[in-house]
Amino acid sequence: MNWWLRLLRRSRLEEQLDREVSDHLERHAADLIARSYTPAEARRLARLALGGPEQVKEQCRDAQGTRWLEDLWQDLRYALRTLRKKPGFTITALLTLGLGTGAVSTAFTLANTLFLRELPVDRPERLLVVQATRRHGQRPGWVSYPDYVHFRDHARALQSLAAHYSTAPLFVTANNQSKELNGAVVSANFFPLLGLQPSLGRFFRPDEDAVPDRDRVAVLSDSLWRNWFGASPSALGASLKINGVSFTVIGVAPATFRGVTVSPNELYIPLMMAGAGYRWCTDSLAADCTILEMIGRLSEGRSVEESRAEAATLLPPSWAAAPEGENTGVTVFRARGALHPDLTRGEQIRFVEVLSAVAAALLLVCCVNLAGLLLARHSARTREFAIRASLGAASPRLMRHLMIEPVLLAAGGGGLGLLFSLFLTGALNTAFYSFDVEGHPLFYDFAPEPRVILWVAAITICAGFLTAFIPALRFLGADAAEFLKRESSAISARPRLGRWLAAAQAAAAVALVAVAGLLLASARSLVSGTNFEASHIALMRLRPRLLKYPAARAQAFLHRAIERLQSTPGVESVSMVGNGAVVVGGGAPVALPRWPATQSFECGYIEIGPRYFETLRTPLLSGREFDLHDTAQSPPVAIVSQALSQRLWAGGTAMGATLLVDGRPHRVVGVAADIALQSRGEPLQPYVYVPFWQNPLQLDARLAVRVAGDPAAMLAVLARQVNAVDPDVPIAETITLPFQMAGAVRSGRVTGSFVSYAAVLAILLSGIGLYGTLAFSVSRRGREIGIRLAVGARPGEVLSMVVREGMTIIAAGAGVGIVLAFAATRAIRHLLYGSGSAEAQTYAAAALMVACVGLLAAWFPARRASRVAPVSALRQE
Amino acid sequence: MAAEKSGLPQGTLDLLILKVVALGPVHGYAIAQRLQQVSRDVVQVPQGSLYPALHRLENRGLLAADWKETETGREAKFYRLTRKGRAQLEDEAASWQRLAEAVAAILKLSEGSAG
Repeated sequence: MNWWLRLLRRSRLEEQLDREVSDHLERHAADLIARSYTPAEARRLARLALGGPEQVKEQCRDAQGTRWLEDLWQDLRYALRTLRKKPGFTITALLTLGLGTGAVSTAFTLANTLFLRELPVDRPERLLVVQATRRHGQRPGWVSYPDYVHFRDHARALQSLAAHYSTAPLFVTANNQSKELNGAVVSANFFPLLGLQPSLGRFFRPDEDAVPDRDRVAVLSDSLWRNWFGASPSALGASLKINGVSFTVIGVAPATFRGVTVSPNELYIPLMMAGAGYRWCTDSLAADCTILEMIGRLSEGRSVEESRAEAATLLPPSWAAAPEGENTGVTVFRARGALHPDLTRGEQIRFVEVLSAVAAALLLVCCVNLAGLLLARHSARTREFAIRASLGAASPRLMRHLMIEPVLLAAGGGGLGLLFSLFLTGALNTAFYSFDVEGHPLFYDFAPEPRVILWVAAITICAGFLTAFIPALRFLGADAAEFLKRESSAISARPRLGRWLAAAQAAAAVALVAVAGLLLASARSLVSGTNFEASHIALMRLRPRLLKYPAARAQAFLHRAIERLQSTPGVESVSMVGNGAVVVGGGAPVALPRWPATQSFECGYIEIGPRYFETLRTPLLSGREFDLHDTAQSPPVAIVSQALSQRLWAGGTAMGATLLVDGRPHRVVGVAADIALQSRGEPLQPYVYVPFWQNPLQLDARLAVRVAGDPAAMLAVLARQVNAVDPDVPIAETITLPFQMAGAVRSGRVTGSFVSYAAVLAILLSGIGLYGTLAFSVSRRGREIGIRLAVGARPGEVLSMVVREGMTIIAAGAGVGIVLAFAATRAIRHLLYGSGSAEAQTYAAAALMVACVGLLAAWFPARRASRVAPVSALRQE
Repeated sequence: MAAEKSGLPQGTLDLLILKVVALGPVHGYAIAQRLQQVSRDVVQVPQGSLYPALHRLENRGLLAADWKETETGREAKFYRLTRKGRAQLEDEAASWQRLAEAVAAILKLSEGSAG
């Protein structure tokens, strides 16, 4: 029987032991009675012979080898009782350790999801990403179909190699619904390579992926099958239109599978149908159309290193002559973590490293702090411990006594921490990892894995021992006698250290609160806008290009759609941009006509429709907006931002001047106020605006619609209006402007969330630190306080004395904290937007907040001090 | 400790218990009786040390125990030898035999032949 089984069945074992011993006694007695002893005499002799049933049982228990465990169990129960008797202490300790562990656990969870988590497919540890590299291995690259075939046919270390284009914008029409969905174009061996089984129907046959544009077959994701086809088996054989081309449904992918990248795929079409999924190449399977990524499965007995070495020898011949910026190399790595096509891992690794470091430091401070608190709690027992140690009490036994409580707390805190981190990762996921900047869904699986839980458990145990170790060291120091002798002086050195610690924590808390406040306020200020008003603007992207509409038809559609939207009730005005996102746009070189070519500079550039500034509520300082008379046939015109106007025509007037935009002359017809999008670390970006309708190549448009009410609520109505004009044209990125702007300040918001979390923890810690220090100091100064009270000090005076002591510490800390916050604000200027005019208030508010917590923390020990009974305090020593 | 009190060399009690149990499943009281009878009262096993020894042997996996009904209709804990226990018994019996023979041979030496 295992020892833990024994522990679980303790009561049964006890009962059996009892029965065995009494059985023995009865038999012996029966024998004696048979030899004509009286029953009473027989029982007495039997017990004598055995030597006392209880002693025998005790020896049996020892012999069973579970003794230490039972003792431990008792100690545990004792510690639990102690903790229950001090709910204030217990809750604070659990909360601190919980928040500390929560931060660490969140960092682990992020690291696990971003770098380690494997795909939910068959033997994921054998899957490899084979990735082209550009710029000397610095950037990831994509490959063309001929490149893929070259690698597929030559790689011996790989059992098979599949190609996929996992971010295909597919405009799908089926069952009277239409929507742009993220699809994947995959080679026929994609699903077999992953070892997936269809939950319905089948996957692509090799012959369905052999001839370009012939086999119009599609596999649905589980969610598309449920949402559009009601999870009905009759979905098989159904027909759907993908970017205007008819396809037949042949299967449904398993529910656990959402594609191999972080962009979840709603449906899959064969590689030979790439022409339907990718509209920007004339021939999507040609050598100059590099859109594919590759994923492979290792042959039995081959390693990642072998495959990597082999791949380097397999570069397609054409790559040798490739110009700078094109594919020149290849790398192979295990398919794990979040595979994001556009992001390099370097920056994410740095982010998680910083996060982990901050979390680890936080947890360390938690432990030290808690140790201080325990020390304060134990201070009343200093003598007892020292005497016990000097009298030769077994060190292990005392050690266990001191260890159990903090380890228990750490375990509880660890559990709480896991919960906190579930909450925190959940919040981060919804806020930052569920949608990309343009509103496309993303999927990062943050569900905790056993690996993460094990890491957290290990960290928790370390934290517990660390917390326990500091006070234990204090009490079980090398020389107990020496300790006893110098007791008072030795200990009085400690509060000074505690004061420093408490002040440092208060400083950190003030700085963190201030920085969190600034980050959150700045994100809000950018979203609400300077010189533009975002809150009532709905966005949508119309993409007739996906359907290969000719220019005239696409432009006619856009005109009609805008007219219809403008006459929709609740809509105030409608405008559009051609390149880049609304407000943000793109870039182009600008110059004055007589400048040498080298003097031109990069400037913000947006192609805008009529009524753009009216829609955004951006003041036009002079001149006019574009109107419908500015067409491809009329002379090119431009509107410049105030910053650009001042840079080029300082002192003069921009109106009527000629400006070269991308080498072509435009006449300036207006000057608009600056829209500040830059962080405080960057200079103000000048902008030039040109008419959308003067670019005949522009087919797709992002609309900005100002509505009277809530833009989010209007999105569906607006989309219906556009559908009424032409039901086939894909509408995508139906989001609100505040949503888009929030995406632009994502890194600031992520940092803001973490700093806020850290700030809460820091406030708590500074409170605990101060409490611990004061409680300790009050207990050491019991005699002094007793004398003060005895010679006539009023309790109120004692109370204010202790509170003053605490607030001096806090004030010193807060002063340093404000300086720290000031320095930190300069360090994170690249994350801050808007003017810094409200900074002083933020600092003051942070200091005030920490001071309030400090007051609360000082109050309890102060009140205890004021209630000291003089006589008992004097008798204490 | 307990073995010393009985005048038994260290570890002998375990060997004797294993031997008695090897004859067939048996409960604690019967083991005590058997030891006393067979040794014709030479070996006095204090009953108090018998049970801790049984539990120790059970914990080491040399003995196993089942609760069975006895002739009187009561349930009693019957010990039996495990395979590991039998191997241990054979080992210890053999080494005890060797030791006993060696000790006997030494004791048989006449005074003269010692020098």
